[in-house]
Amino acid sequence: MNLSLKRFSFQAMGSYCEIQIYNESRINAKRIIRKLASEVRRLEQKYSRYRSDSLVAEINHSAGNKLGIKIDTETKALFDHALNCFEQSKGLFDITTGILNRIWDFQSPQVPKQAEIDRLLPLIGFQKLSWRKSRLIMPANMEIDFGGIVKEYAADAAAKLARRLEVQHGLVNLGGDFAVIGAQPKNQPWSVGVADPNKPDNMMAKIELLDGGLASSGDYERSFVHAGKRYSHILNPKTGWPCTGLRAVSVAANLCTVAGSLATIAMLKDEKAGLDWIRESGLSAVAMTSDGRIEGNRLKNVKSEALE
Amino acid sequence: MRHFQSILTGICIISLLSGCAQVRPWERGYLARKEMAWEVDPLESLLNNHIFFSKEASSGGNSAAGGGCGCN
Amino acid sequence: MATNPSPSLIALSATALALPGITSADAPPTQSTISYKFSNYAEDDLSRSEAPFGDLERYDIDVHQFQFITPIDSSFSLHIDANYESLTGASPWFTSKGVNGDPIVNLSGASGIRDRRSEFSIGTKYYLFNGSVGGNIGYSEEDDYRSSYFGLTGERHFNNEMTTVSLGFSYSSDAIFPTDAEVFNRVISEDKRSTSAIISVSQIISQVSSFQIALGLTEQSGFLSDPYKLKDIRPDNRTQIALTNSYRHFFINANAAWHVNYRYYHDDFGISSHTFDMRWYQNLRQSIQLVPSVRFYSQSAASFFTNVDNFVKPADEYQSSDHRLSAFGAFSGGLSFVANLGSWTATLTAERYVSNDSYSAYKVSQPSTALVRYNRISVGLDYTF
Repeated sequence: MNLSLKRFSFQAMGSYCEIQIYNESRINAKRIIRKLASEVRRLEQKYSRYRSDSLVAEINHSAGNKLGIKIDTETKALFDHALNCFEQSKGLFDITTGILNRIWDFQSPQVPKQAEIDRLLPLIGFQKLSWRKSRLIMPANMEIDFGGIVKEYAADAAAKLARRLEVQHGLVNLGGDFAVIGAQPKNQPWSVGVADPNKPDNMMAKIELLDGGLASSGDYERSFVHAGKRYSHILNPKTGWPCTGLRAVSVAANLCTVAGSLATIAMLKDEKAGLDWIRESGLSAVAMTSDGRIEGNRLKNVKSEALE
Repeated sequence: MRHFQSILTGICIISLLSGCAQVRPWERGYLARKEMAWEVDPLESLLNNHIFFSKEASSGGNSAAGGGCGCN
Repeated sequence: MATNPSPSLIALSATALALPGITSADAPPTQSTISYKFSNYAEDDLSRSEAPFGDLERYDIDVHQFQFITPIDSSFSLHIDANYESLTGASPWFTSKGVNGDPIVNLSGASGIRDRRSEFSIGTKYYLFNGSVGGNIGYSEEDDYRSSYFGLTGERHFNNEMTTVSLGFSYSSDAIFPTDAEVFNRVISEDKRSTSAIISVSQIISQVSSFQIALGLTEQSGFLSDPYKLKDIRPDNRTQIALTNSYRHFFINANAAWHVNYRYYHDDFGISSHTFDMRWYQNLRQSIQLVPSVRFYSQSAASFFTNVDNFVKPADEYQSSDHRLSAFGAFSGGLSFVANLGSWTATLTAERYVSNDSYSAYKVSQPSTALVRYNRISVGLDYTF
């Protein structure tokens, strides 16, 4: 039995995705990865806020309907996790914040007026959602967006499916969110690089994963600079303005979903609180502060290296 | 008639209990403890059921009956 | 995971783990377990005043139990049970009137008591998203008894797994072929069938408590009498019903769990009973647990129970002097010591049981003299891998 590394890439969740697995046969590996890609696309189709045929679009369409909308088991579990994140972050992680994207457009560097923000703030607040058995009741004009959870969940779900299909060594990468299917042969870890927000072609840190997942949150892509000030796409639900703490956070945890929630919450807090939050978690993590300092937690080496 | 009343009481209790406040998955740490299981030591339960089955006239009410023995 | 994970990390993991793509709501155990338990059961000897004639030594039984539970891929689990017991001692053969008019019992070790029993069963469970289904089959054999049985179970969760409903069904087909049948004029070979069904509902009440109610119905038919007693004639049908209520509560400040169960039973032999038992699981220090337990049992007599055998009554009239069908009550108390050492768990248990007609909550018109008192000690070892 000769295992060798096979890797396949595809587009999904608006990102470049790549899955690596160890398998004897290339055909077999391709078949397996196709199934994994299919599962990732299923979740994208179901929860994307950009698709008018998604379940999220249907849920948002039901806003204002007093009878609410029936929610399936998987979506209910996502809401449970969103509620948990809302409570753990004391209201900072809020999936009803997406509505602010109507006035914040990160393609064009335009800062909205305070009045526009004030008009939308009353329509934000996870606590405003109510439930009657398995029906969700959403007040009119509110919106939910699983963007902060679904990509990491998809990575974990793909990894779990791969294990069910008897893949023992592999790594799922969905646009920088990683989930380990199984360590490399002879129990060697996967080496994952975290990009430096200032110099995107360089690595800020290299993290070794034997299992679990790694997720990053930061203003790498969707952000802009206007009049010397940096505006991140991660918006604070209480003020309506971008968060002003850490510039980027990457966390390694037992699940990509958990890592993602922890990283996003760290970004939403102010800088000192964010670093304390990371330290308290006891996990391996790396963060960049607003003045470009790299802070590591339980890492072997933290330095900026050029990617090969 | 006495036993019918007990059964009715049981059913009423269950219906009332469905109105219990939700205990979220992350709040079930205590309930998940080994000593909070319905049967903590399965071999002990099996042994006791076997002993009481052979020394007393009552049986059942826990799980569906296993094998018989000449001890009763 | 991380060393010293923060409460937030633990909390966030819990809901992430509950996501369907990551784990099925109902999953087989993540590890395999092998368990072994050795027990010795010893009944108190009778006194000469209770048994002026015959043997005084009652049962002394050694029991070996073995169990293996293992997950098979991500949706099945397998369980294998095997046990072996060996017994010495005598059991009541007949009763008669003593010199002062009180009933006396005559034990006989020569009455061919079943002295060895082996049992083997195998079962499997299939885990679905919101529940599971399972089945098992088994076989037991003694020098004078054989039993084959099978069972089916199903379980479903509702209301975010706050409520669980289970159904169980089992059937057993037994054969009795008493030893020394011709010598003692016993039945040569008889059979017996038993069918039972049980439904139970469990409900989580709070973060620290849950409640369960179960209703079981059993129907036995065939030869139900005791072939080793000189005169024992019972109906060839028996319908039994049992209702059990169970409650579990965890006391956070005490770091202990409290179990309390109450069962009401009734059958058409005319027997009713109450069983009340409690256990307290006290966690001490790291990985040590002390578990005291108490039990109270009280039953009424079968309609055809007689504490003195009547050899004059015709053979088609039901009667039995079997002490197990008399009105009596029993108290038992026990203590277990549990130690957790990594993948190993060791348990040591001692229990004392005493029964007496005066302990019964029911009216006792004919007290039995042959009621049992016993000691039990058990030593168990579990290995998880």
